[in-house]
Amino acid sequence: MKPRTERSRELLTKLMATPVRRKYFETLRRMLGPSGLISIREEQFFLVLAIAIGLLAGFCVVLFRVAIAAARIWLLGSSLHPSTTRLLLVPSLTGLVIALIAVRYFPRVRGSGVNQTKGALYIYDGYIGPETVVAKFVLTALAIGSGQSLGAEDPSLQIGAGLASAMGRWLKLSKERLRLMAPVGAAAGVAAAFNAPITAVLFVIEEVIGRWSTGILGAVVLSAISSVVVERWFLGDEPLFRVPQYTLNHPGELLAYAVLGVTGGAASVVFVKIIKNLRPWLRRQPQWSQYLQPGVAGLLIGFIAIWFPQVMGAGYEWMDLAMHKRFAWEVLGILAGLKIVSTALSFATGTPGGLFAPVLFMGAMLGGFVATVEQQLFPAIAVPVGAYALVGMGALFAGILRAPMTSVFMVLEISGNYSIILPVMICNSISYVISRAFQEVPLFDLLSRQDGLDLPSLEEEPERALLRVEDAMRPTLGRALLGDEGIGSARGIAASTQETNFLVSLGEGRWSVLSREALLSPEHDETELVRSLIRARVPRLYQDQSLEVALRFMRDRPMLPVVHRANLDLLMGVVSVEDILRTYRKAGVAEPETVEVS
Amino acid sequence: MLTLSLIIVLGFSFTRLVVGSFNNMQRGLAERYYAEGNRAMDEKRPAQAVTAYESALVYSHNSLQYRLKLTDALVASGASSEAMAQLRDYREQRPEDAQVNLKLARLEAHGQHVDEALRYYQQSIDGVWPDHSDPVPQKIDARLEAAEYLVSLGRKDEAEGVLVAVAAELPAASPEQPRLAELLMRNGDSDRALNIYEMELSQKKNDPAALLGAAQASLAGGSYSTARRYLEEIKPESPEAAKLRGELDRVEALDPFARSASGKVRTERTMAAFRIALERLAACGAPFAQSMTNIKTGAATDPAQWSGFAKWAEQLAPMMNERKLRGRDDVIESAMRFALRSEIAAQKNCGKPTLDDEALLLLARQRLGAGQ
Repeated sequence: MKPRTERSRELLTKLMATPVRRKYFETLRRMLGPSGLISIREEQFFLVLAIAIGLLAGFCVVLFRVAIAAARIWLLGSSLHPSTTRLLLVPSLTGLVIALIAVRYFPRVRGSGVNQTKGALYIYDGYIGPETVVAKFVLTALAIGSGQSLGAEDPSLQIGAGLASAMGRWLKLSKERLRLMAPVGAAAGVAAAFNAPITAVLFVIEEVIGRWSTGILGAVVLSAISSVVVERWFLGDEPLFRVPQYTLNHPGELLAYAVLGVTGGAASVVFVKIIKNLRPWLRRQPQWSQYLQPGVAGLLIGFIAIWFPQVMGAGYEWMDLAMHKRFAWEVLGILAGLKIVSTALSFATGTPGGLFAPVLFMGAMLGGFVATVEQQLFPAIAVPVGAYALVGMGALFAGILRAPMTSVFMVLEISGNYSIILPVMICNSISYVISRAFQEVPLFDLLSRQDGLDLPSLEEEPERALLRVEDAMRPTLGRALLGDEGIGSARGIAASTQETNFLVSLGEGRWSVLSREALLSPEHDETELVRSLIRARVPRLYQDQSLEVALRFMRDRPMLPVVHRANLDLLMGVVSVEDILRTYRKAGVAEPETVEVS
Repeated sequence: MLTLSLIIVLGFSFTRLVVGSFNNMQRGLAERYYAEGNRAMDEKRPAQAVTAYESALVYSHNSLQYRLKLTDALVASGASSEAMAQLRDYREQRPEDAQVNLKLARLEAHGQHVDEALRYYQQSIDGVWPDHSDPVPQKIDARLEAAEYLVSLGRKDEAEGVLVAVAAELPAASPEQPRLAELLMRNGDSDRALNIYEMELSQKKNDPAALLGAAQASLAGGSYSTARRYLEEIKPESPEAAKLRGELDRVEALDPFARSASGKVRTERTMAAFRIALERLAACGAPFAQSMTNIKTGAATDPAQWSGFAKWAEQLAPMMNERKLRGRDDVIESAMRFALRSEIAAQKNCGKPTLDDEALLLLARQRLGAGQ
């Protein structure tokens, strides 16, 4: 009997006997890597990796949330009502420890983590050091656990991005792929922290990537979903808030919601202005004071918490109560105001922690406040406090973080109620417009610029009007040459113009460019077809394409044809490099230094 | 890929370990605060109990048991509206929860919100009870509580509907049978109550409680001899049985409608009942006495209840002697209606009745029905 290996070899030879079989097995062999595992193309691998990142970021965020809860118990005690001594000592002393570590050893962990992640994406080729991730994890857990008025979502974003970055480097991904890892991890982080994958994807696109990019969308979505699966596996699928039922009874109620939009916009401007002025002022203070600032902020927050403990931490449980009419209007108003102050203090002093949750808190309280006041002033109008609190969250999110798409979908995702979409859109739009009118630069861009970084912004993108091929193209003088016409006829056309290059239509939407020199070359007989002179085809352009696309296609070609999308042989005009440059010069895009910095 | 999978498996295991330990810690804290809250409640310190239960809920925020205890503590500390808000919040998420609906019904009943209370009672009866417990006895208990509330409101027909439904589904050996019989009695349905007590006696012969109940039901139904027979079977005689025997004696002595009563006895008993009722009304205090004075002085009569009784008494008083009552069944009937209605009115508005008053009240229930 033959040995087993020999029999296998014989079988393989038999199987590969025909060309078709050989091709099939060749493909299979290519899929088998040196380790015997299936190896896949880089794009596919990237998607698989996105799922893996989502899972790992999910684990990290679950541990992060547990760490925050454990820190809270450890530092402030397990009772719902900590003693006054603890309220004063814990946030201040923990603030001092955090400042010591953050200022001296890990300056990149200060702040929310959104603009740091964006900076990593655009400046450091997607690099976020592992030490930053670990320090962010520990220090933010301590900060929120000790009662600083900050949230866990934005740090989760940075932790997820850092994890993804580390994995990308470990897997030795290409530079281009490595740069994309940060947003993939960021989406996973924020999705697990907020238990809302759609919101996470949109937030990452609006705030981190800063532009709509279809190339990365699939990976971002996959990572966000996988991390939410992990989060729900370990922490349950309970929503952040128990959202009351809501129905819009009469379109007239939308007017009442508009008041919330205006109030939300005003509150957003106030908050951003405080951060805008307080943060650089605190940074200008002597270096030694940087070590004290988070401690002082903690002391002030602890002092506020003696009467209003709701301002401490993220405060999701209080938002839930606000939605269920558990606070009087005076309390709601005071809480909204105090949260603006306490969050500004925590954030401007550089304490690590996010703005996401505090912004929602402000919105919920403000929404509840406006609803209860409207209820008293106009008892005839149906004013559901829960819906107002929810819509208020969206309004403040749109006004402060200036992520309008995210703000709308966030409310829809956490409420699971489509009827609320009209009030949300109205309120968010009003708040957003007011915020833009009084504060030109969005908060995260403002923070980046205060840190000396100029990063792209989705909001500013549309302001730079997109230049299109139609803006640069010029009409052709005379008709294009035809591939099937004689060289003699073509020379006749050339003789009637001064053009140095001619477009040649080859039919079925194919085009080429022929130089005057090649056309008039005596090497070719006049009876030959123009087609015989063609060496290469050129790509065609459409009027609606951007000039950036046109430039990419241009290479060293003297011109490109612009054709009709419905008739690819119909020439609309031509574009050359000179045309494109002339158009850019004429458009005159705003230069970075002319933009407001702080 | 293999390494990546290994990292994910390790990450999962580590996260599971940490989350599991943290959940255990939270569970421990929740139980500690819950025990603390129970202790505070036992020691009549509801404010501390509220804090403890709230802390317990931080670590086990889905626990219905803790939330229900918190609402008890809130009610005990005078924060009924907060308790109501807690329960309503919870109910928004689980409107079918029978326990929450029952608690809400009790709070609404306490706050005199009859319609809401009845709605919550009904939702509690139709609701879902915890998985680990047998829902049937709990549903019956909720029905009996709803019936008790209806009886206390005097909504006799609705109470009867609920009680009949309970009687249909309550097993014969259920310990709730005496409670059902007592509610039927209070609702004026002495026949059904007697049936239940007799059924009880067929299972537990000479059971003193069942004998006493049967005697009460018989007395309420006007079967004095049956009542006396049941009372004689109670050995040794309890204070309740002795009291009931005294009541029975008085009822027999006061009932002018008894078949054995001769014409003379009827008139004497009517006059006695009229006198007892007048004394009861007079003992009620100023309003009746004032109304009587107004009628005597010819002052304008007011439409209030007391003046109505005063006027009625004024009309009957001259007829209250043996000679004038003889052969006047219409006057006897009117005088007895006056006596019985006066006792019912006095029961609602005046102090504790005497034995004679109680006897007349029993007659009132027989003749006019409960709550009349």
